[in-house]
Amino acid sequence: MDLEDKSHLLPYAQRPDFKVAKATELSGKDRRFFRFLEIVPGVAAWTTIIGIILASMYAPFFAAYFIIAFSIYWVLKTIFLSIHVRYNWKRLKHHMELDWGSLIKRFRYEQMHHLVIFPFYKESREVIEGTLQGLVEANYDRDKLIVVLAAEERAGEEAEQLALEMEKQFAGKFGHFIVTIHPDDVEGEIAGKGSNTHYALHQVKERVIDPANIDYQNILTSIFDIDTVIYPDYFNCLIWHFMTAENPYKSAFQPVPLFTNNLWEATAVARVMAMSSTFWQMIMQERPDKAATFSSHSVSFQALYEIGYGQANVVSEDSRIFWNLLVANNGEFEVVSLSYPIAMDATTASSLWGTVKNIYRQHRRWTYGVENWCYLVYHFTKNKAIPLRKRWSIAALQGEGYWSLVTNPIMLFILGWAPIFLGTREFHATVLSYELPIMVRNLLVLAMFGLVVSSIISLSLTPPRPDGHSRFKYIVMAFQWIMVPLTMIVFSAIPGLDAQTRLMFGKYMGFWVTPKREK
Amino acid sequence: MPNEPQIEILSYKRRKRLFQLLVLIFLIALPTMIFYTTGYRLNFDNEDSTFVTTGGMYITTDTLDVEVYVDEDKIEKPRLFRSAYYIQNIESGIHRVVVQRPGLNTWVKELPVDPRIVVEASAFNMPVEPVIRPVTKFTTTDNQPVFLMASTAVEVFSKATSTIPYLASTTIASSSLAINEEYIFVDSLFGTSSTDTRSAFGRFLDEVDRFRFATTTEIKSTTTEEIVIQRGDVRLVDRKSDVYAVWQNGIDNIPYYYCVGEKNFASTSERFGRHVAESIFGENVASTSVVFESDRVCRLEIKLNRLAQKVFFYDFFPNSSDLVVLLLEDGLYVTEIDDRAWQNTQLLYPGDDFEVIVENDIIYIKEDENYFEIVTEIET
Repeated sequence: MDLEDKSHLLPYAQRPDFKVAKATELSGKDRRFFRFLEIVPGVAAWTTIIGIILASMYAPFFAAYFIIAFSIYWVLKTIFLSIHVRYNWKRLKHHMELDWGSLIKRFRYEQMHHLVIFPFYKESREVIEGTLQGLVEANYDRDKLIVVLAAEERAGEEAEQLALEMEKQFAGKFGHFIVTIHPDDVEGEIAGKGSNTHYALHQVKERVIDPANIDYQNILTSIFDIDTVIYPDYFNCLIWHFMTAENPYKSAFQPVPLFTNNLWEATAVARVMAMSSTFWQMIMQERPDKAATFSSHSVSFQALYEIGYGQANVVSEDSRIFWNLLVANNGEFEVVSLSYPIAMDATTASSLWGTVKNIYRQHRRWTYGVENWCYLVYHFTKNKAIPLRKRWSIAALQGEGYWSLVTNPIMLFILGWAPIFLGTREFHATVLSYELPIMVRNLLVLAMFGLVVSSIISLSLTPPRPDGHSRFKYIVMAFQWIMVPLTMIVFSAIPGLDAQTRLMFGKYMGFWVTPKREK
Repeated sequence: MPNEPQIEILSYKRRKRLFQLLVLIFLIALPTMIFYTTGYRLNFDNEDSTFVTTGGMYITTDTLDVEVYVDEDKIEKPRLFRSAYYIQNIESGIHRVVVQRPGLNTWVKELPVDPRIVVEASAFNMPVEPVIRPVTKFTTTDNQPVFLMASTAVEVFSKATSTIPYLASTTIASSSLAINEEYIFVDSLFGTSSTDTRSAFGRFLDEVDRFRFATTTEIKSTTTEEIVIQRGDVRLVDRKSDVYAVWQNGIDNIPYYYCVGEKNFASTSERFGRHVAESIFGENVASTSVVFESDRVCRLEIKLNRLAQKVFFYDFFPNSSDLVVLLLEDGLYVTEIDDRAWQNTQLLYPGDDFEVIVENDIIYIKEDENYFEIVTEIET
């Protein structure tokens, strides 16, 4: 039972099902519909994969033509996305060279505060200190910073103690610094970053914002992963975009996450996955109309307040908060790309196998973001105030994204050969049967040229070589991209299929905390 | 320093144009590539460029570094796999394929190529001069074979070259020699003592049944009518004076050379040879030995080419169910079962006075009381 006062919420956000996370929280027709939506992605993915296998066996000519069409599509998609990455790379470099402090002088922004929330679990002192030190070194009036170090009760005494020590060390350096301890085992919540952040937002409002009588519209809230180290001009860049945005209170501001904090210490596979994630975000920076928020991002406190600070009961809270905002604002909410970096950790572990496991789990959690598709389609059927075309467009785009994430690598690198092995005798005797692998191979080689672009851009984004690391590692970093076909299957398709299958069977996932750097 | 960022976000208009351009490329590329992969090519040979439908050939070979020719044009393209050539862009009609390498017998076959279809064949090239590996009773401590001979001046193998060096000795210095276990095994296979001086040919003729040795690692059974040897689904059967390769299973997995795409005698004869046409459409062909499908006709047995000689021994060639070893009057041969156009037959070892056994995919020969293996794996 939700006893929260909802009078301050936007009308649509006052609905009891506004923060629905899974079918079991609903009843009647709504429950059945939501459950249907949970089943759709998994069924679509498995139908595609099994369909290709069956088509290869019983309709190999059709399967071969489809695979050729798909390979051409893949090459063109690679070109399309590479152009986006290259363009954003130019823009990112340009934005990193700009003096944002000068650029914002023409605005009146003294009234603006930055609320920065760092939810953490059991991360080390080194990680937290590095993050807070980055904040200290920001080119911004630190009196305007409200910093929340959001600890978890379930992390134990040690984590709470560390938070308090950090408060002692950094409190005097910012306008406000508070530590919040998110209680354990709160009914209706999923333990994780989302619920912790949700609690921290409530706390900071009560303990800092309201007592200081700060206008909610004058607070920009940045929800950062604990390993997020900001670049010095981040807040200036954010202010500039806030001031120039068409609808600043109806916008979420998305930086480019560079997973470079520990890039030199990470294994090649971790670096490839980290940079791949960065590239995807760089692509989305150039088409924000198709994007949702991801990982660390910023948004007006007013907007968050109007939706009750998002959801505490979901795994993929970073994107869900955007869909909450979009649905509650009747479709009038958008992502503004900052094209300005923040530095985060690449997923690693003390061993290669540990790294592989951690990356797999992290990507399974990310790809469980398919739960957001169920949420938004469900609310698109309820909130008719959102333009129909927008509803269809977003639902199709997001649906295609989750479907292709799972199926495309498998179709390209595994099932592309299926007609050759599974096809009928009549098919095997044809020129098509012999030409298919040659054609697919050539197209994939062509598509791999996109990796050359990736290699060059990733090297340019790599931090300076620290002492103790050989120059030879640059060569490894240049050639590590040949692993992409493998990483696409192992760390995108399979965890995606894993996540969608779990959702399909109603085996809902919890939040798995990605381990940060180890000492 | 500029007052504004100088690089605008990629505009929706530009993204849309790029998208439309790529869609256009897709719409052009898709039919083009589908036509290409199904065998259509533009022919620029005459003034009016026209589309032609081509076929292909898929030639497998066990021998590395061979040269492949189609109609006297050398195939320069790399292999599809290590042991296979896929030859594209062949116009329909009969084409001659030659697979050769200096020092090896040349394999030649004429095959019909149809539009959009790939015709398969498997080539083999045995050494012109036989290559053998001696199996002697004694070896040196470093495994070098030692022949015991009356005189070291006599050449042990006059018709072949040996893959390994060997010694010829007139005496046994037992302290420095070791007994070769393989020799004991081979000796037991031939089932004769080292003092037996009868010729293989003579002993063959002693038998009522000419097929004295029918030894194989695969199924071997004897009936009152015939001795059969089977590997996989292919059985070798002797009937009257001939040996047949008989398919023993359903035709789903029948090797391609048992089947033709034609439905009448004339076209089959023209494309694959009269003997193939007769084996399918001949008057004496039993209806049970031919299977008609919608797109092909398959016979269930193929007669092997014995070069008009008597056959004293037959077995499958090592590690193959497509090739057969035949001991004929003037030597040991290997022949292919594939009889399209003709059957390539190559001499493995010449002579009329030796015995043969195929055991564990090794061809052993006993000649002049010496044992040796015929080497069939050709090194580059």
